[in-house]
Amino acid sequence: MSAENAYAVELKGVSFKRGTRSIFNNVDIRIPRGKVTGIMGPSGCGKTTLLRLMGAQLRPSSGEVWVAGQNLPQLSRSDLFDARKQMGVLFQSGALFTDLDVFENVAFPLRVHTQLPEEMIRDIVLMKLQAVGLRGAIELMPDELSGGMKRRVALARAIALDPQILMYDEPFVGQDPIAMGVLVRLIRLLNDALGITSIVVSHDLAETASIADYIYVVGDGQVLGQGTPDELMDSDNPRIRQFMKGDPDGPVPFHFPAPDYRADLLGKR
Amino acid sequence: MQNRTLEIGVGLFLLAGILALILLALRVSGLSASPSSDTYKLYAYFDNIAGLTVRAKVTMAGVTIGKVTAIDLDRDTFTGRVTLQLEKRVDNLPVDSTASILTAGLLGEKYIGISVGGEEALLKDGGTIHDTQSSLVLEDLIGKFLLNTVSKEAK
Amino acid sequence: MRRKSLLERIRLFGRSAIDVLAVLGRSSLFLVHAMVGRGGIGGGFQLLVKQLYSIGVMSLAIIIVSGIFIGMVLSLQGFNILAKYGSEQAVGQMIALTLLRELGPVVTALLFAGRAGSALTAEIGNMKSTEQLSSLEMIGVDPLKYIVAPRLWAGFISLPLLAMIFSVVGIWGGSWVAVDWLGVYEGSFWSNMQNSVSFVDDVLNGVVKSVVFAFVVTWIAVFQGYDCEPTSEGISRATTKTVVYASLAVLGLDFILTALMFGDF
Repeated sequence: MSAENAYAVELKGVSFKRGTRSIFNNVDIRIPRGKVTGIMGPSGCGKTTLLRLMGAQLRPSSGEVWVAGQNLPQLSRSDLFDARKQMGVLFQSGALFTDLDVFENVAFPLRVHTQLPEEMIRDIVLMKLQAVGLRGAIELMPDELSGGMKRRVALARAIALDPQILMYDEPFVGQDPIAMGVLVRLIRLLNDALGITSIVVSHDLAETASIADYIYVVGDGQVLGQGTPDELMDSDNPRIRQFMKGDPDGPVPFHFPAPDYRADLLGKR
Repeated sequence: MQNRTLEIGVGLFLLAGILALILLALRVSGLSASPSSDTYKLYAYFDNIAGLTVRAKVTMAGVTIGKVTAIDLDRDTFTGRVTLQLEKRVDNLPVDSTASILTAGLLGEKYIGISVGGEEALLKDGGTIHDTQSSLVLEDLIGKFLLNTVSKEAK
Repeated sequence: MRRKSLLERIRLFGRSAIDVLAVLGRSSLFLVHAMVGRGGIGGGFQLLVKQLYSIGVMSLAIIIVSGIFIGMVLSLQGFNILAKYGSEQAVGQMIALTLLRELGPVVTALLFAGRAGSALTAEIGNMKSTEQLSSLEMIGVDPLKYIVAPRLWAGFISLPLLAMIFSVVGIWGGSWVAVDWLGVYEGSFWSNMQNSVSFVDDVLNGVVKSVVFAFVVTWIAVFQGYDCEPTSEGISRATTKTVVYASLAVLGLDFILTALMFGDF
């Protein structure tokens, strides 16, 4: 049991298929408690799918997903909704509820899961918004916010219930350098200040490497490698090296599989 | 507050819907609020009820005093039995009153007209009108007319 | 293009038949999940009121305007035809029966599919593509209960009310044309109508029809939104599907219901 406790999330032999296409094949991932773990890989390798497996929004074809001592695929629908209260997710687009203002968005999880009086909800919401630096935007609607601000509001909403695990789905995509810097700092800060386990799914190398304590590199439906950012930089696995260095050609080919170039050009029509 | 107008809007909408139902009931289908308890039933047997339908009106001196509630065939006499539902306020019909099937206009709908008889005794609930006049059947009429002309020419 | 062999065609047909079955099963499960089981969320009534507003109240304008015009047109056409037989006073009963039995429920359902149904599909599809539904799930709120159920109920409640309002304004529009314009005697207009319209057979049967249509149209609209591909093309395709499927379903069901209610068997 003590060994289990060192990890907040454990994927054991997880396979996932979409239709007949296999996305993951027998993947083992362990997310250490209280750390920032990065999950990296090229676009389209199923990183977001991995996150959804951890949140039990998708059910693996086989294997176990242990979160906080519960095997999620075995839970009933209502137990699952309870289990999710300990998880916060920051979606790529922020996913703010467009018909609610900033205050109500952050207050939403509190309203549905707690019976707190209105003043207390207000205090908590103000505290969370203060943490992301947007206490002044309390009355704005989501479509009045910039992309970076949306993500920060969504972050405030994700931590409203003080979850134990916080997952970030591509938090750095499409952000200007300032907003990116703010997010990087916030992720680290929240992790250390609240003692939560953070999982960052991203393909932005520099940012992820700068905050992650531990990194998994996935690709081709498998875990290609794992370790601290420095260890991975020095990896001898050519695929990991290509990814970490950003080389255009390598084990991941530049060309999409095609018949021979010469034959194609000179061949008969 | 914005929430308030929303609630008022929905309230008005529901009210409009219910009002519409009430209007349809009272104004359009002529459903009267008075219960059917202050009516009574009479039966009338006709040789031919052709064209008379359920819910046709029953009139007396042109005034509507009830309606037809059922039409069926009497198995023993092979006549059409019509059930009339009349208002209680006209409970003084003599037993020898006449019921006839009339037509509104040349091709209009059929209805039942009742003309008063002279007897002292009155019809009671569930009673039967014996003196009846059947529906005017256009085909018979034409047939008779043709027969007449044929026999006249034969002379 | 290569011509398909017979065997291949049979296989394709079989696959699409299985696909249809799968959609039917999925949408039924979806409906059951949304309507049955613990609702669990406080303020469910508030959610319903909000949806009644955006689904019902916002459709009122189009329903009322179309109702008046359809009633007026019916009156004009009916008058011209009936006048040939000298029975123009029957125009009231013709308008009332047409509206109550057929046009009220059917036209309202078609307009509703176009106005509210497509909006429902687009709204839910948009929530899906912006990950709001996923986000709700991860907050621990069942989107079927929080997003879908109130919309379903609002649709079920709104459409029958709209259909009745449609019939009333249609009859009013018809009476305006017939009585005030074409000079049909007002007394016989209304008394003819009242004599021939039965509350149970005509009014209530019409309401039953619109309840059935409400169920089908809202179900299709909400399911198409929930099941759509979360991209802009996916949403626009789903919106089109909602209008097409809902309209066809309404017209098909109308025939069946009419046969059951007014056909003699």
